[in-house]
Amino acid sequence: MIRNKKAAAKASVLAAAAALLLAACGGAGVDAEASAAPTDAAEVAACGSYAIAMHAWVGYTASAQVVTEIAKANGCDISQVTLAEAGVTYDAMEAGSVDLVIEDWGGGRWQEWADRGALVQVGDNGNIGIIGMYVPQWMADENPDITDSANLNKYADLFVTDESKGKGAWYEGPPGYTTIGEKMISANKLNFTAISTGSEQALIDVFTKAAADKTPAIGYWYTPQNFLAKVPLARINFPANDWTDPEQASGLTDYPELPLQKLATPKVIDANDAFTKIVKNFTWTNDDQNEVAADIESGTDPAVAAQKWIDAHADIVAGWLK
Amino acid sequence: MSESNSAISVNNLWQVFGPNPEKIVGSPDAALPRAELREKTGNTAAVRDVSFEVAPGEVFVVMGLSGSGKSTLVRCLTRLIEPTSGSVVMNGEDVLKASDARLRELRRTKFSMVFQNFGLLPHRRVIDNIAFALEVNGVSKEARHARANEVIELVGLQGFAQAYPEQLSGGMQQRVGLARALAVDPDVMFLDEPFSALDPLIRRDMQAEVMRLHEELGKTMVFITHDLAEALRVGDRIAIMRDGAVVQMGTAEELIANPADDYVADFTRDVPKSHVLTVRTIARPLASNETASGRSIPATTIIRDATAAILDADGPVAVVEGNTTLGFITPRDFLLLVGGGSHG
Amino acid sequence: MSNTKETMFIAKPKKLKRGWLIAMLFAAWVVLAKIFQGQATLVLAVPEDTGVTTWAGNVAASIRANRSDGASFKYFFNPIREFIDGFVTGIREIIAIPAGDSSIPLLGWLGVIAVIGFVVYAVSHLRMAIAAVILVFACGALGLWTDSMDTLAMTLAAVIMSLLIGIPVGIWAGLSDRALKAVTPILDLAQILPTLVYLAPLALFFLIGPASATIATMVYSIPIAVRLTAFGIRGVPVSPVEAGTSMGTTKIQLLRKIQLPMSSRTIILGINQTVMAALSFVVIAALIGAPGLGKPVIDALIIRDVGGGFVAGIAVVLIAIMLDRSTSAAISIDESFVPAPASARRRRKLGLVSAGVATIICIVLSRQLAWAAYFPEQVDISKPVSNVTESSIFWITENFEFLTTGLAKAVTVGILNPLEGVLSNSPWFLTVAMISLLSLILGGLRSAFITLTLLLAIVASGLWFDTMVTFTQTIVATILTMLIGVVVGVWIGRSTRAERALRPILDAGQTLPAFVYLIPMLGFFGPSRFTGIATGIVYSIPIVVKIVGQGIREVPTNMIEAAISTGSTKWQLITKVQLPAAKKSLLLATNQGLIFVLAVVVIGGLVGAGGLGYLVIVGGSKPELQGKGLIAGFSILLLGLMIDRIAQYTVARNSAPKH
Repeated sequence: MIRNKKAAAKASVLAAAAALLLAACGGAGVDAEASAAPTDAAEVAACGSYAIAMHAWVGYTASAQVVTEIAKANGCDISQVTLAEAGVTYDAMEAGSVDLVIEDWGGGRWQEWADRGALVQVGDNGNIGIIGMYVPQWMADENPDITDSANLNKYADLFVTDESKGKGAWYEGPPGYTTIGEKMISANKLNFTAISTGSEQALIDVFTKAAADKTPAIGYWYTPQNFLAKVPLARINFPANDWTDPEQASGLTDYPELPLQKLATPKVIDANDAFTKIVKNFTWTNDDQNEVAADIESGTDPAVAAQKWIDAHADIVAGWLK
Repeated sequence: MSESNSAISVNNLWQVFGPNPEKIVGSPDAALPRAELREKTGNTAAVRDVSFEVAPGEVFVVMGLSGSGKSTLVRCLTRLIEPTSGSVVMNGEDVLKASDARLRELRRTKFSMVFQNFGLLPHRRVIDNIAFALEVNGVSKEARHARANEVIELVGLQGFAQAYPEQLSGGMQQRVGLARALAVDPDVMFLDEPFSALDPLIRRDMQAEVMRLHEELGKTMVFITHDLAEALRVGDRIAIMRDGAVVQMGTAEELIANPADDYVADFTRDVPKSHVLTVRTIARPLASNETASGRSIPATTIIRDATAAILDADGPVAVVEGNTTLGFITPRDFLLLVGGGSHG
Repeated sequence: MSNTKETMFIAKPKKLKRGWLIAMLFAAWVVLAKIFQGQATLVLAVPEDTGVTTWAGNVAASIRANRSDGASFKYFFNPIREFIDGFVTGIREIIAIPAGDSSIPLLGWLGVIAVIGFVVYAVSHLRMAIAAVILVFACGALGLWTDSMDTLAMTLAAVIMSLLIGIPVGIWAGLSDRALKAVTPILDLAQILPTLVYLAPLALFFLIGPASATIATMVYSIPIAVRLTAFGIRGVPVSPVEAGTSMGTTKIQLLRKIQLPMSSRTIILGINQTVMAALSFVVIAALIGAPGLGKPVIDALIIRDVGGGFVAGIAVVLIAIMLDRSTSAAISIDESFVPAPASARRRRKLGLVSAGVATIICIVLSRQLAWAAYFPEQVDISKPVSNVTESSIFWITENFEFLTTGLAKAVTVGILNPLEGVLSNSPWFLTVAMISLLSLILGGLRSAFITLTLLLAIVASGLWFDTMVTFTQTIVATILTMLIGVVVGVWIGRSTRAERALRPILDAGQTLPAFVYLIPMLGFFGPSRFTGIATGIVYSIPIVVKIVGQGIREVPTNMIEAAISTGSTKWQLITKVQLPAAKKSLLLATNQGLIFVLAVVVIGGLVGAGGLGYLVIVGGSKPELQGKGLIAGFSILLLGLMIDRIAQYTVARNSAPKH
């Protein structure tokens, strides 16, 4: 069979090569069709192709999708790349495989990459990130003093589970998220074990169940996040905040309020095209983000949800494009 | 036989496996029995100090049991295995000193080999198997197929040129092996137990075929076998190997008539002597009470062929060479030998 | 003869003694662990560093700092990355991403499907080609055309590069003993190393993106190509090679005309295995920026979108089946060297030519007409598939809580927690001593020495506690895997019908990337240690079942006939004859099971299983923990080595005297 097979292999390689040649030379008729289609071709300036980093949480998706839709409408070629937060994403920017992070929670971890010229901090995106430890509202209602971290140990027994080794179960954020739970536990001498939840959804499950069944739970949460509107949570207050540099943080602290950042590669800044303008000018409020995020969470396609917001806020979007 | 007119001349050939093969040859250790040598040095001497000459057109058989080193020996002659020391001279050229390129040339044109497991290439047709050596030597397709077709005719494979080896029986496959070895018209053919894998009946056919080819083409052959009957049938001369060394070498008759040691004697015990020996070997002087019958037979007659002459006589028959009488044979001597009552 | 009899008689009491020793060891272990519970456990909070991890962090930081100007990056790593990036982009532009200024890839969807159909037809047969076309179309129908094509392109790119390197190296190792000796340790190590461990160090040098994903995939799949190619070359019978040499072939002629054609089946099998390995890695490589189906899978894991992840998982499965079946169809057709009769060949030629013409027409169409260029959005079954999945998982978790929550709780409370108490929650020196002693009893002195060294290295790394957490999960998952695997393995070993029925499932199970299994498990069990364990079990059962089944089937018939003729019951036959006779297979299955389980349990870090896998993942995203992540990866390697060594020595010891 070998000979026959060899011939077949040869034939297929030849045919494939011929086909590719044909394809490459032919020019895609589809392109002609596309450009002939009635768009505002005259107004659309040339725009490059860019990759936006996608992170897992819905709020991020909302922001990134809005930028994506506006950029596409302005002739940019946009792809989305799913990556974990921070380090992985900064490395991707250094490699040039990702051009934009629309909502960075890294608290300055990117500085080293910025120093190397791998990325540029473009500025705040308008959202204020607040991370914290939360309990379901009913617990705070029943035990008003629980929201003071000094009293947490008193209630530790309530939180014991199979997974928590006899101490209170402290549900930490997912691996990709900014977390300092263990530092908080040790610095505040809390009788709790930090348990890594794999996903944001897992935390949602924990809190939803805790609210519905009135079971005790303490876990990581953050705003902006639409979830708090659905399941009320009470934030635990920790002692004064000295969390400016994650490496130096004593842990006797709470998560700080974090103005969320836009990070882009130098390529974006240098291009000076429509995308550059959008990236530079994009800011919106926590409420804006929650609005889009709520739609996405309820099952709307992210692109559709983003477009809905864009259509409703044409003036703001027009401002970003100037 | 002098070196100049022999087809192959092998001198003091050694092949030692193991950590330091060169150090063994020539050292006192070389004389140790195999097991002791391995124990002491970790080396195994597969071929030990073998020397022989093969005359042009001769069929030289190397015989021995498995593990006796005969297969290693034949591989050393063509350097499929590199010998440790010694020389192998073919047509005045020491094969062991040949460069890689020269060795390839020799293999492509001067000698060829037939293998026990045929060694055919399953992905090639019969004709391309046969033409393989010509192909690797850069002979054009037309020329090598023409030559292959000649050889196909010669070995009786007509009609199978386009078949694949797996479509042929074992005997037919080995015909392809023979044809392949003949295709380059070599000076010397090496046959490594070529028929061991075949059924006995087919084996006989193939032996006959080899004898026929030998008669027609007169190729010098080195024939390896573990089967004494085969050795006796095809061999002009036979070397018997044991533990890597040649224990005895000679014509069939010499081996059977005068085994060098018990090992050889053991080997040859079951051979019907009357089929191999000439009357010369059993001729003896007349005893005092005997009188010659007056009949005579030539000394080179095989005993079996002299049956009628011996039994029909009414007394001892004279064995003569030219005009000299070498001795006599009685019917009783003859019957004792054929009946195999006692040997010697 | 008398010798073997003697060893048989001596071996018996020795084995008995060993069983007792192990039991006593465990008893002592449990008691001591209870007494010293919680002391000297070397727990290290996630944000904390040790000397070793700090050092690794500094090394990593200095490597990062070197990336833009360092000579090694300028002249070595970056050129490699750029070259591979160009290559990968080139292949992606053919089928997956817009090529150059065009709005579509070189081939629209119809063109891609036609080319795939044609190539599969050319290397196997029409039926397979039709199946391939349907499978690829189904990927598009799942709404994942672009991602599927990206996965296919990434796999293709990685496979081409892997074969370009792997086959020559394999040929070299096939021809030269010295070369084989040189590559063997690397090949062995590659078999032990869990996939997750490759990613972080490679990302450090090649950053994040398609290029580094391709490099990581190559690192994973090259050893497979090397191993099988070398195996194939070495498997060529001696006599044709000798015959070729005796006819004066040069080494290259010998290789080209004899060794390669005769080992082609094994080499094609190697290509098949390389393709499957690359595919499974490309999915995981989404963690370091590989485009394709891995993206939705990871998304699904992080935001627990079980339905969406399942849809992506199905697409991975479809591609896996397509690639596996068509590459293995290429092998089976080559069974005989004899070509088909002339008429069949003529028919096939005609078929190829017409298929080729049809393909070219499809390609042209796919570039000229929108419907053939963009996969039709109307054909989208992803929503219903996702909904059905979600509702059925919801239904199962609701109605079979005893099976999901109950099972998870039973294993967690019943086995996992107590075992963690013994392994990770007791003093480190106790655990080190006990594991070393166990290794001594099982594998002998050398085994114990290596075990002790590896364990001390883990202690020195500072990640002892996390390593023991991972180890505990590995053991629990392996025990459960073996329980199920041996039962099913004995079943298929004894029943040809069962074997025939299960074989396709086992084959399919073996070709799927571990990642895909995580999604339904996450749906059933939520984020927990048990999810990782359950995934490990599901992932490693096929290999265990296969090995055990084969072991049982290979028990000599005369042994079984002898047992039956002495009146054994079926149960006696299994427990007293077949299982003991298949002991080597059982040990081998345990070893494979452990290594497979470890690879998956580590990925469990993504779904809340904690341990080393979690640290590896955290280390990727938090630069200040990168050192810790790297050391965690290294500890996984040490753990894998330890498991493998103990298993190997145990196997060697148990199979040394052959009765």
